[in-house]
Amino acid sequence: MIELKNITKTYGKKQNAFLALDNINLTIPSGASVAILGKSGSGKSTLMHAMSGLDRPEQGEVIIDGEDILKLRTKQVDQFRAQKIGFIFQSFFVQANETVSDNVSLPLEIADVSFSTRKQKIRAALESVDLLEKINSKAKNLSGGQKQRLAVARAIVNEPQIIFADEPTGNLDSVTGDKVEAMLFGYNKKNGVTLIIVTHDPDLASKCDIQVNIKDGRVESVVDNKEIAAEKVGA
Amino acid sequence: MKLIDTINRAGRSLKNAKARTLLTSLAIGVGAFTITLSLAAGEGGRDYTDQIVSANSDVKEIVVTQKQPEASTGPREFEESGAIQPGASAGGAFGGGAEIAFLTRNDLTAIEKLDNVEAVIPNYSPQVTYLTTDGGKKFVVESLSAFTPGLALEFAAGSVDGALADNEIILSEEYAKALGFENVADAVGKTVEIRADALAKLGESKLVPFTVKAVSSKSGLAFRAQGSQLISDNAARDLYVYINEGTRSYDKFILASVRISEANKAEEVKEALVAKGYEAQTAADILGTVNTFINVLQGILIGFGALAVLTSVFGIINTQYISVLERTQQIGLMKALGMRRRDVGRLFKLEAAWIGFLGGALGSGLAVLAGVIANPAISNALNLDGIHLLSFNPLAVAGVVVGLMIVAVVSGIAPSRKAAKLDPIEALRTE
Repeated sequence: MIELKNITKTYGKKQNAFLALDNINLTIPSGASVAILGKSGSGKSTLMHAMSGLDRPEQGEVIIDGEDILKLRTKQVDQFRAQKIGFIFQSFFVQANETVSDNVSLPLEIADVSFSTRKQKIRAALESVDLLEKINSKAKNLSGGQKQRLAVARAIVNEPQIIFADEPTGNLDSVTGDKVEAMLFGYNKKNGVTLIIVTHDPDLASKCDIQVNIKDGRVESVVDNKEIAAEKVGA
Repeated sequence: MKLIDTINRAGRSLKNAKARTLLTSLAIGVGAFTITLSLAAGEGGRDYTDQIVSANSDVKEIVVTQKQPEASTGPREFEESGAIQPGASAGGAFGGGAEIAFLTRNDLTAIEKLDNVEAVIPNYSPQVTYLTTDGGKKFVVESLSAFTPGLALEFAAGSVDGALADNEIILSEEYAKALGFENVADAVGKTVEIRADALAKLGESKLVPFTVKAVSSKSGLAFRAQGSQLISDNAARDLYVYINEGTRSYDKFILASVRISEANKAEEVKEALVAKGYEAQTAADILGTVNTFINVLQGILIGFGALAVLTSVFGIINTQYISVLERTQQIGLMKALGMRRRDVGRLFKLEAAWIGFLGGALGSGLAVLAGVIANPAISNALNLDGIHLLSFNPLAVAGVVVGLMIVAVVSGIAPSRKAAKLDPIEALRTE
């Protein structure tokens, strides 16, 4: 479970100060798929950075599994990200000159996973994104969709508890985008992993269990899509 | 992150920028090349002089001379009543206005009385008239001197165990051939004759027979004993006395060799000699003088190498800064995935270490290769058969490589710090 309490984050100083996050309170249950929906500049990315320990808001608490990660030291936050979090970015950030296998291996190396289990974990992750046959290819030889699937494999290889996806389909056409979405939701349901998607795409947001609408650094509304769906079925 | 993973990643990053890596390591390679060659030349040079000195001087021997008067400054006024200097005739060859102080019999006996001194042998070098075989051609003798058992001689034929008997002679290969022994081995055991003329008594002369004990061969090392015809101390003295007795320069010697009882007493005896007002040089002194010269030369060469390394330091810093800039996103990703600052810094320091290793290995490898190719050519040109002037010590080569790796890591500190400090949010911002 992720609990945000009174999160406030300001950029700039004095006259130029800009309130990016304004007293955010939010609770995300474990295993849910959550969309953080908002226009650019609404603070949705900043919120994701705060939840993942990349950024440190000056006020509030980010409690994950009962622990406030804002109270941890840098080293411990790094370890927390290495052990429990997976990231997927809009521009993939795969290492073009490295092989698919080396790309997926990076989080395992950072998390100090033993050599003996690495190979098997890498194969399993690539298998689940349907990229096993490309294991020895250079990442630069992959198509856009394949690159994002590679990024998904990299995010799930160390079996994280939370996956953050920042506009995961923003750079993809709708067909490949749908495929990547299906993979993410499938993994979320199958493994009970919390999936947090940052997006400005209402279609994608509507596919998530919970939809958090952000505007001007504030939570405008939290919509439980599951309830709506249930009501629709009921009606 | 495991060290081995970091090393692998560092190596892969460099492989991805092959041209840049190679050029940067070449810069450091120039330094490695120069330093490795200088070290080899110094080592080889010292080996060489060591061999030369041990072939030409004996550790149980000290060369002693009279303390020379201060060199005169400017022209000296002629003294009407002044005694004629003994050196005026005897040391004429050394002229040029400077007087030469000679060792006399009194000096020699005084030196002989010192502790640990076994014998004092002035260099007699008797100026004999000619050398011949019975009825054969007569040859002028350029150099005839006393044989010192401690000298490392190389023999073409025969051999000498210990001292020479008073009727024995060691011929040089050149003279043995000239005297008609086509095969130098035939000379051993034959008799040669030396003619001596008494300088003070006109018309008085004698022929002294010697049995050839051995024939010395030419060597790249020896220059003092090798060209000389060698006879025993006593024979040399007898000839000297016969030739020079009654002349003005009789019993005045420019230098004498002091034979000591034990090699480790050399310094002690030298000090005693200096205290008595003589100038003395041990074998170690001679070696030291030559080696100082080599060390200075080697120092200059290493200085050039160090300059090249210093230049390459800036190359490494520059390359690594560019690499950090270029890989901002990669660093940001690694940090987002939880890579610790220390590990990011270490990754870049290891890349620098790789560059240092490549440059060092490349440079010193080429230096060794150049040495292996050049050594026979140098030995040929300088007529040193079997002696290698470039001597590579594997430990020294390894030391150069490790040293350059350390230099490279130190150069990589500032760029690696920049990488470690990078803010992942800034680095991953795409818009």
